[in-house]
Amino acid sequence: MTRRSFLRVAPRQWSDAWDGTKAIAPLMVGCAIFGMAFGALIRDAGINPWAGLFGTTTVVAGASQIAIVEAVRANAPAIVAILTAILINARFALYSAALAPMWAEFPRRWRFGLAYFMTDQSAVIAMREAEGQEVVRRRWFAAGASVSFVVVWVLGTILGLILGPIIPEHWQVGFIVPLMFIAVLVPGLRNLAQLVTIAGAAAVVLLGHGWPFGLNVFFGIIAGMAAGATFDAWQEKRRAVVGGLS
Amino acid sequence: MNIWLIFLAAAIGTYLIRISGVVLLKDEERIPVPVRRALRMVGPAAMGAIIVNSLFLDHGEWRAFGAWHIAAAVAIAMAIWRRSEGWSMLAGALVFAALIATVA
Repeated sequence: MTRRSFLRVAPRQWSDAWDGTKAIAPLMVGCAIFGMAFGALIRDAGINPWAGLFGTTTVVAGASQIAIVEAVRANAPAIVAILTAILINARFALYSAALAPMWAEFPRRWRFGLAYFMTDQSAVIAMREAEGQEVVRRRWFAAGASVSFVVVWVLGTILGLILGPIIPEHWQVGFIVPLMFIAVLVPGLRNLAQLVTIAGAAAVVLLGHGWPFGLNVFFGIIAGMAAGATFDAWQEKRRAVVGGLS
Repeated sequence: MNIWLIFLAAAIGTYLIRISGVVLLKDEERIPVPVRRALRMVGPAAMGAIIVNSLFLDHGEWRAFGAWHIAAAVAIAMAIWRRSEGWSMLAGALVFAALIATVA
Protein backbone atom coordinates (compact mmCIF):
# COMPACT_ATOMS: atom_id res chain seq x y z
CA MET A 1 0.00 0.00 0.00
CA THR A 2 2.58 2.49 1.16
CA ARG A 3 4.89 1.15 -1.46
CA ARG A 4 2.43 1.75 -4.26
CA SER A 5 1.73 5.28 -3.19
CA PHE A 6 5.47 5.82 -2.83
CA LEU A 7 5.93 4.71 -6.41
CA ARG A 8 3.08 6.89 -7.55
CA VAL A 9 4.44 10.11 -6.05
CA ALA A 10 8.12 9.36 -6.56
CA PRO A 11 8.55 10.79 -10.09
CA ARG A 12 7.11 14.09 -8.94
CA GLN A 13 9.47 14.20 -5.97
CA TRP A 14 12.44 13.20 -8.05
CA SER A 15 11.62 16.02 -10.40
CA ASP A 16 11.38 18.47 -7.47
CA ALA A 17 14.82 17.30 -6.30
CA TRP A 18 16.16 17.60 -9.83
CA ASP A 19 14.90 21.20 -9.96
CA GLY A 20 16.93 21.89 -6.83
CA THR A 21 20.00 20.30 -8.39
CA LYS A 22 19.53 22.39 -11.54
CA ALA A 23 19.15 25.56 -9.48
CA ILE A 24 22.57 25.05 -7.88
CA ALA A 25 24.27 23.51 -10.94
CA PRO A 26 25.93 26.74 -12.18
CA LEU A 27 27.91 26.82 -8.93
CA MET A 28 29.12 23.22 -9.11
CA VAL A 29 32.24 23.89 -11.17
CA GLY A 30 33.35 26.44 -8.57
CA CYS A 31 32.54 24.02 -5.77
CA ALA A 32 34.55 21.21 -7.41
CA ILE A 33 37.58 23.46 -7.93
CA PHE A 34 37.40 24.68 -4.34
CA GLY A 35 37.15 21.05 -3.20
CA MET A 36 40.19 20.17 -5.28
CA ALA A 37 42.09 23.04 -3.72
CA PHE A 38 41.24 21.68 -0.27
CA GLY A 39 42.33 18.17 -1.23
CA ALA A 40 45.61 19.52 -2.59
CA LEU A 41 46.13 21.52 0.60
CA ILE A 42 45.76 18.33 2.67
CA ARG A 43 48.43 16.66 0.55
CA ASP A 44 50.65 19.72 0.70
CA ALA A 45 50.36 19.87 4.50
CA GLY A 46 51.38 16.22 4.74
CA ILE A 47 48.11 15.21 6.41
CA ASN A 48 46.79 11.68 5.98
CA PRO A 49 44.45 11.80 2.92
CA TRP A 50 41.87 9.64 4.71
CA ALA A 51 41.77 12.17 7.53
CA GLY A 52 41.26 14.89 4.92
CA LEU A 53 38.40 12.94 3.36
CA PHE A 54 36.94 12.41 6.82
CA GLY A 55 37.13 16.17 7.47
CA THR A 56 35.49 17.07 4.20
CA THR A 57 32.57 14.67 4.64
CA THR A 58 31.92 15.51 8.29
CA VAL A 59 32.63 19.25 8.58
CA VAL A 60 31.28 20.04 5.08
CA ALA A 61 32.37 23.68 5.17
CA GLY A 62 35.38 24.65 3.06
CA ALA A 63 36.62 27.84 4.67
CA SER A 64 36.64 26.28 8.13
CA GLN A 65 38.39 23.14 6.88
CA ILE A 66 41.14 25.26 5.35
CA ALA A 67 41.44 27.17 8.62
CA ILE A 68 41.90 23.89 10.51
CA VAL A 69 44.66 22.72 8.17
CA GLU A 70 46.40 26.09 8.35
CA ALA A 71 46.20 26.09 12.16
CA VAL A 72 47.54 22.53 12.37
CA ARG A 73 50.32 23.36 9.93
CA ALA A 74 51.26 26.39 12.05
CA ASN A 75 51.42 24.11 15.11
CA ALA A 76 48.60 25.99 16.82
CA PRO A 77 46.96 24.22 19.77
CA ALA A 78 44.11 21.89 18.74
CA ILE A 79 41.58 23.95 20.65
CA VAL A 80 42.48 27.02 18.57
CA ALA A 81 41.96 25.05 15.35
CA ILE A 82 38.59 23.77 16.54
CA LEU A 83 37.34 27.11 17.85
CA THR A 84 38.46 28.95 14.74
CA ALA A 85 36.51 26.49 12.60
CA ILE A 86 33.43 26.78 14.78
CA LEU A 87 33.53 30.58 14.78
CA ILE A 88 33.90 30.63 10.99
CA ASN A 89 30.85 28.37 10.81
CA ALA A 90 28.80 30.40 13.30
CA ARG A 91 26.94 31.97 10.36
CA PHE A 92 25.16 28.65 9.82
CA ALA A 93 23.16 29.41 12.97
CA LEU A 94 21.71 32.40 11.14
CA TYR A 95 20.78 30.36 8.06
CA SER A 96 19.33 27.73 10.37
CA ALA A 97 17.18 30.33 12.14
CA ALA A 98 16.02 31.79 8.83
CA LEU A 99 15.20 28.35 7.41
CA ALA A 100 13.46 27.14 10.58
CA PRO A 101 9.97 28.50 9.80
CA MET A 102 10.26 27.33 6.18
CA TRP A 103 11.20 23.83 7.33
CA ALA A 104 8.90 23.70 10.37
CA GLU A 105 6.45 21.31 8.72
CA PHE A 106 9.13 18.90 7.49
CA PRO A 107 9.38 15.55 9.29
CA ARG A 108 12.04 15.63 11.97
CA ARG A 109 14.45 13.29 10.15
CA TRP A 110 14.31 15.61 7.14
CA ARG A 111 15.21 18.64 9.22
CA PHE A 112 18.09 16.81 10.89
CA GLY A 113 19.27 15.42 7.57
CA LEU A 114 19.02 18.62 5.55
CA ALA A 115 20.90 20.52 8.27
CA TYR A 116 23.87 18.23 7.75
CA PHE A 117 24.05 19.18 4.06
CA MET A 118 23.56 22.91 4.66
CA THR A 119 26.03 25.12 2.82
CA ASP A 120 25.98 28.86 2.13
CA GLN A 121 24.98 28.26 -1.45
CA SER A 122 22.25 25.71 -0.88
CA ALA A 123 20.82 27.58 2.12
CA VAL A 124 20.51 30.79 0.14
CA ILE A 125 18.98 29.03 -2.86
CA ALA A 126 16.54 27.09 -0.65
CA MET A 127 15.46 30.33 1.07
CA ARG A 128 15.08 32.17 -2.19
CA GLU A 129 12.83 29.50 -3.66
CA ALA A 130 10.94 28.42 -0.52
CA GLU A 131 8.25 31.05 -0.90
CA GLY A 132 5.50 29.69 -3.11
CA GLN A 133 6.72 26.09 -2.92
CA GLU A 134 4.30 23.72 -1.25
CA VAL A 135 5.85 21.88 1.62
CA VAL A 136 6.69 18.51 -0.01
CA ARG A 137 8.22 20.18 -3.06
CA ARG A 138 10.12 22.53 -0.76
CA ARG A 139 11.91 19.73 1.05
CA TRP A 140 12.72 17.73 -2.06
CA PHE A 141 13.96 20.86 -3.78
CA ALA A 142 16.19 21.67 -0.78
CA ALA A 143 17.50 18.10 -0.73
CA GLY A 144 18.20 18.13 -4.46
CA ALA A 145 20.19 21.34 -4.15
CA SER A 146 22.09 20.62 -0.95
CA VAL A 147 22.94 16.92 -1.28
CA SER A 148 24.16 17.24 -4.88
CA PHE A 149 26.31 20.21 -3.93
CA VAL A 150 27.95 18.32 -1.07
CA VAL A 151 28.54 15.32 -3.35
CA VAL A 152 30.37 17.62 -5.79
CA TRP A 153 32.34 19.07 -2.88
CA VAL A 154 33.43 15.62 -1.72
CA LEU A 155 34.28 14.45 -5.26
CA GLY A 156 36.31 17.62 -5.79
CA THR A 157 38.20 16.95 -2.57
CA ILE A 158 38.91 13.34 -3.58
CA LEU A 159 40.24 14.55 -6.93
CA GLY A 160 42.47 17.05 -5.15
CA LEU A 161 43.68 14.35 -2.75
CA ILE A 162 44.59 12.08 -5.65
CA LEU A 163 46.10 14.65 -7.96
CA GLY A 164 47.72 16.90 -5.37
CA PRO A 165 48.55 20.52 -6.11
CA ILE A 166 48.17 20.41 -9.92
CA ILE A 167 46.59 23.86 -10.03
CA PRO A 168 49.47 26.36 -10.15
CA GLU A 169 49.51 28.82 -7.29
CA HIS A 170 49.59 31.84 -9.59
CA TRP A 171 46.12 30.91 -10.88
CA GLN A 172 44.84 32.13 -7.52
CA VAL A 173 41.87 29.76 -7.36
CA GLY A 174 40.77 31.57 -4.22
CA PHE A 175 38.98 33.95 -6.57
CA ILE A 176 36.33 31.20 -6.87
CA VAL A 177 35.00 32.28 -3.48
CA PRO A 178 33.90 35.86 -4.26
CA LEU A 179 32.94 34.80 -7.80
CA MET A 180 30.62 32.05 -6.62
CA PHE A 181 28.95 34.28 -4.07
CA ILE A 182 28.53 37.15 -6.55
CA ALA A 183 26.77 34.68 -8.85
CA VAL A 184 24.42 33.60 -6.04
CA LEU A 185 23.76 37.07 -4.68
CA VAL A 186 23.51 39.57 -7.49
CA PRO A 187 20.95 38.04 -9.89
CA GLY A 188 18.48 37.66 -7.00
CA LEU A 189 18.72 41.24 -5.71
CA ARG A 190 15.33 42.90 -5.82
CA ASN A 191 15.07 45.82 -3.43
CA LEU A 192 16.81 48.67 -1.71
CA ALA A 193 16.68 47.02 1.71
CA GLN A 194 18.93 44.26 0.38
CA LEU A 195 21.47 46.82 -0.82
CA VAL A 196 21.42 48.49 2.59
CA THR A 197 22.01 45.02 4.10
CA ILE A 198 25.05 44.47 1.89
CA ALA A 199 26.43 47.94 2.67
CA GLY A 200 26.06 47.35 6.41
CA ALA A 201 27.77 43.98 6.18
CA ALA A 202 30.58 45.36 4.00
CA ALA A 203 31.24 48.25 6.39
CA VAL A 204 31.75 46.00 9.42
CA VAL A 205 33.77 43.40 7.49
CA LEU A 206 36.21 46.13 6.40
CA LEU A 207 36.28 47.99 9.72
CA GLY A 208 37.00 44.70 11.49
CA HIS A 209 39.69 43.58 9.07
CA GLY A 210 42.20 42.89 11.82
CA TRP A 211 39.85 40.78 13.94
CA PRO A 212 40.86 37.15 14.43
CA PHE A 213 38.90 33.93 13.70
CA GLY A 214 36.82 35.43 10.88
CA LEU A 215 34.85 37.44 13.43
CA ASN A 216 34.65 40.40 11.06
CA VAL A 217 32.57 38.23 8.71
CA PHE A 218 30.25 36.98 11.44
CA PHE A 219 29.64 40.42 12.92
CA GLY A 220 29.42 41.84 9.41
CA ILE A 221 26.54 39.49 8.69
CA ILE A 222 24.79 40.50 11.92
CA ALA A 223 25.34 44.21 11.17
CA GLY A 224 24.05 43.79 7.64
CA MET A 225 20.93 42.02 8.84
CA ALA A 226 20.30 44.74 11.43
CA ALA A 227 20.85 47.52 8.89
CA GLY A 228 18.59 45.90 6.33
CA ALA A 229 15.85 45.17 8.84
CA THR A 230 15.98 48.72 10.21
CA PHE A 231 15.74 50.17 6.74
CA ASP A 232 12.92 47.80 5.85
CA ALA A 233 10.94 48.81 8.96
CA TRP A 234 11.54 52.50 8.26
CA GLN A 235 10.39 52.10 4.66
CA GLU A 236 7.27 50.27 5.72
CA LYS A 237 6.41 52.97 8.25
CA ARG A 238 6.97 55.67 5.65
CA ARG A 239 4.77 53.88 3.16
CA ALA A 240 2.05 53.58 5.79
CA VAL A 241 2.25 57.32 6.54
CA VAL A 242 2.17 58.24 2.86
CA GLY A 243 -0.69 55.81 2.32
CA GLY A 244 -2.60 57.34 5.23
CA LEU A 245 -2.21 60.84 3.78
CA SER A 246 -3.48 60.08 0.31
CA MET B 1 45.75 16.37 19.37
CA ASN B 2 45.29 14.22 16.38
CA ILE B 3 43.88 15.68 13.16
CA TRP B 4 41.02 13.16 13.09
CA LEU B 5 39.82 14.35 16.48
CA ILE B 6 40.16 18.00 15.46
CA PHE B 7 37.98 17.39 12.39
CA LEU B 8 35.54 15.36 14.48
CA ALA B 9 35.19 18.10 17.11
CA ALA B 10 34.76 20.78 14.43
CA ALA B 11 32.20 18.57 12.66
CA ILE B 12 30.14 18.04 15.80
CA GLY B 13 30.27 21.74 16.67
CA THR B 14 29.33 22.72 13.13
CA TYR B 15 26.44 20.26 13.00
CA LEU B 16 25.06 21.58 16.28
CA ILE B 17 25.25 25.09 14.82
CA ARG B 18 23.53 23.97 11.62
CA ILE B 19 20.72 22.29 13.52
CA SER B 20 20.30 25.03 16.17
CA GLY B 21 17.72 27.27 14.54
CA VAL B 22 15.86 24.44 12.88
CA VAL B 23 15.37 22.76 16.27
CA LEU B 24 14.84 25.79 18.49
CA LEU B 25 12.82 28.16 16.29
CA LYS B 26 10.12 26.00 14.79
CA ASP B 27 7.30 28.35 15.72
CA GLU B 28 7.58 31.52 13.65
CA GLU B 29 4.94 33.30 15.75
CA ARG B 30 7.27 33.22 18.73
CA ILE B 31 10.08 35.03 16.91
CA PRO B 32 9.81 38.80 17.50
CA VAL B 33 8.95 40.79 14.36
CA PRO B 34 12.27 42.72 14.17
CA VAL B 35 14.20 39.44 14.38
CA ARG B 36 12.04 37.93 11.64
CA ARG B 37 12.72 40.98 9.54
CA ALA B 38 16.46 40.60 10.12
CA LEU B 39 16.41 36.89 9.33
CA ARG B 40 14.91 37.64 5.93
CA MET B 41 18.12 39.55 5.19
CA VAL B 42 20.52 36.75 6.09
CA GLY B 43 21.17 35.78 2.46
CA PRO B 44 22.35 39.17 1.18
CA ALA B 45 24.13 39.85 4.49
CA ALA B 46 26.15 36.62 4.42
CA MET B 47 26.90 36.70 0.69
CA GLY B 48 27.87 40.38 0.90
CA ALA B 49 30.13 39.82 3.91
CA ILE B 50 31.91 36.85 2.32
CA ILE B 51 32.36 38.65 -1.01
CA VAL B 52 33.76 41.81 0.57
CA ASN B 53 36.00 39.82 2.92
CA SER B 54 37.52 37.70 0.18
CA LEU B 55 37.75 40.48 -2.40
CA PHE B 56 39.24 43.30 -0.35
CA LEU B 57 41.10 41.39 2.35
CA ASP B 58 43.73 38.69 2.28
CA HIS B 59 44.38 37.12 5.68
CA GLY B 60 43.30 40.36 7.36
CA GLU B 61 45.47 42.61 5.17
CA TRP B 62 44.19 44.80 2.34
CA ARG B 63 44.37 43.14 -1.03
CA ALA B 64 46.22 45.26 -3.62
CA PHE B 65 43.95 46.51 -6.39
CA GLY B 66 44.04 44.28 -9.44
CA ALA B 67 42.58 41.28 -11.23
CA TRP B 68 40.33 40.27 -8.32
CA HIS B 69 38.50 43.58 -8.26
CA ILE B 70 38.24 44.00 -12.01
CA ALA B 71 36.98 40.47 -12.64
CA ALA B 72 34.51 40.77 -9.76
CA ALA B 73 33.16 44.02 -11.26
CA VAL B 74 32.67 42.24 -14.58
CA ALA B 75 30.90 39.33 -12.87
CA ILE B 76 28.60 41.77 -11.05
CA ALA B 77 27.82 43.68 -14.25
CA MET B 78 27.09 40.43 -16.06
CA ALA B 79 24.87 39.22 -13.20
CA ILE B 80 22.84 42.43 -13.35
CA TRP B 81 22.63 42.38 -17.12
CA ARG B 82 21.76 38.70 -17.73
CA ARG B 83 20.26 37.92 -14.30
CA SER B 84 22.09 34.60 -14.58
CA GLU B 85 24.45 32.76 -12.23
CA GLY B 86 26.13 30.86 -15.04
CA TRP B 87 26.89 33.88 -17.21
CA SER B 88 28.12 35.83 -14.22
CA MET B 89 30.58 33.11 -13.22
CA LEU B 90 31.73 32.46 -16.77
CA ALA B 91 32.41 36.14 -17.49
CA GLY B 92 34.17 36.64 -14.16
CA ALA B 93 36.32 33.54 -14.59
CA LEU B 94 37.33 34.38 -18.18
CA VAL B 95 38.27 37.97 -17.34
CA PHE B 96 40.16 36.80 -14.26
CA ALA B 97 42.07 34.17 -16.27
CA ALA B 98 42.91 36.69 -18.98
CA LEU B 99 44.17 39.22 -16.44
CA ILE B 100 46.26 36.64 -14.59
CA ALA B 101 47.73 35.38 -17.87
CA THR B 102 48.71 38.87 -19.04
CA VAL B 103 50.33 39.74 -15.72
CA ALA B 104 52.21 36.45 -15.38
